[in-house]
Amino acid sequence: MFLLHLWNYIRGYVIIVVTGKSVERFINICSKRQILLWDIERRDNESAVMKMSLRGFRLLRPVARKSECRVHILKKCGFPFFLARYRKRRGFKLGFLIFVLLIMLSTSIVWDIEITGCKPEHFQKVMNVLKMENIHRGSLKLGINPKKIAQEIVLQVDGIAWAGVELKGVRLIVTIEDGITAPRLIKNNQAFNIVAERDGLITQMEVYAGTALVKKGDTVKEGQILVSGRLHSQRPELGDFGTKDVHALGRIIARTWYECSLPVSMEYIKKVRTGKEHNTLYLRIFDSKIKLPTGKVPFEVYETSTYDKNLRGPFGVELPFGLTVEKSYEVTEKKMDLTLEEAISITEETARAQLAERLPPDCKVLDEKVNHVEGENGRRYVQIVLECEEDIAGLEPVIE
Amino acid sequence: MKKRLFRIKPKTGEESAPSLSEKLARAFEIPGDVIGGSPKVTAIGRGEVLIENFKGILDFKDGMIRINSNNGIIKITGQDLKIREITSEEIIIGGKISNIDYDA
Repeated sequence: MFLLHLWNYIRGYVIIVVTGKSVERFINICSKRQILLWDIERRDNESAVMKMSLRGFRLLRPVARKSECRVHILKKCGFPFFLARYRKRRGFKLGFLIFVLLIMLSTSIVWDIEITGCKPEHFQKVMNVLKMENIHRGSLKLGINPKKIAQEIVLQVDGIAWAGVELKGVRLIVTIEDGITAPRLIKNNQAFNIVAERDGLITQMEVYAGTALVKKGDTVKEGQILVSGRLHSQRPELGDFGTKDVHALGRIIARTWYECSLPVSMEYIKKVRTGKEHNTLYLRIFDSKIKLPTGKVPFEVYETSTYDKNLRGPFGVELPFGLTVEKSYEVTEKKMDLTLEEAISITEETARAQLAERLPPDCKVLDEKVNHVEGENGRRYVQIVLECEEDIAGLEPVIE
Repeated sequence: MKKRLFRIKPKTGEESAPSLSEKLARAFEIPGDVIGGSPKVTAIGRGEVLIENFKGILDFKDGMIRINSNNGIIKITGQDLKIREITSEEIIIGGKISNIDYDA
């Protein structure tokens, strides 16, 4: 029923008053002639109110004459009449046209570029490729050829296995699949020695192939051959059978030491914010920034931090307009005298951080020793020694 | 073989003999409104009466509507009667209906 009403509204209808001796006759003739009538109500003995489709109203004149009824329009309803009302208003038309144009324009530009699935170091390169292709936020979608861009990205950026570029509505989505570097292949049938990768004390040895040259408890130097790939005859008294070269295999677990020593500095330069601030504002439209007249930074020494304020559209979509605020804080440098304990603990922290970078990934830390050494001219040093356990087996081809 | 005698009964008053199409409809168990053009009156609740296969409106007043059909006149009485919709095949009458009368 609702649908029918909607349909009637779209097609347009009129509410009419029919006056005459025989309204019934009028209704009968209308129904015979396929003129749609609805909501017929008797007003009084001689008249009735009814609704009639716009199409039917055009065929009404002969019906009215035949049934000797008079027809008046009470009200015109529906979309066609609504349109007719606005036909004369020029500003309305213009506004509608501008609206359509704006919609078309705003849907034909790239509003957002999304790069997913790539390592941070590739990110900038991909951005550069896009920049070279002259694609940025705000560029027209029309000239963008996703396949070509994807190809370009794969060609220009090393270490990428696959790149996909997709235009989804007003977003450009770049999906990148990082390639995996092929591992160094070591042929099984080639002859190899096991050498020590680091200095250490061997705590455990498992030799699967080859001749062990060292044993548990030995200290070894970096580069020393631990397991030889050359096999000699086990029983030389039976005669000389020569040698055979194999691929030495084994696990050599050794205790290793890492050491780091740093001088203790009693002075520490600390940057203290004075509490004065200055804001520099930028208006951001797409990727271009316009500096707003907010004056120069009035400080000599200062730190800055920037953050973006974005307008948020519906559904959490970030709109490409916003403010960039650059906050400057005035800073004074203060030399601080530390107590001995503070100075040592700071030095220890830095030494630990340096050691952590040097440790190989499969290494197990067993023990940590902190030594405080007093050197010449009264300088203090902090020395940290880490005792670790790791597999030091490395491979090296057997040299003939 | 017996000879059969057919006696034609004179038509008595209003009761008219069923037409051929109605007989056919009955023989094949087809609803009368499909073949014979008999009116089909559907009342939904109290507020709506749908009549298919009607021939025309005879009378339309606030409290009474008379509709012509193949089986005679159907009179519908009630309060605030109105014609919700009318096409050449069907008519929907709305309002508070109290009677649906035939031969009135």
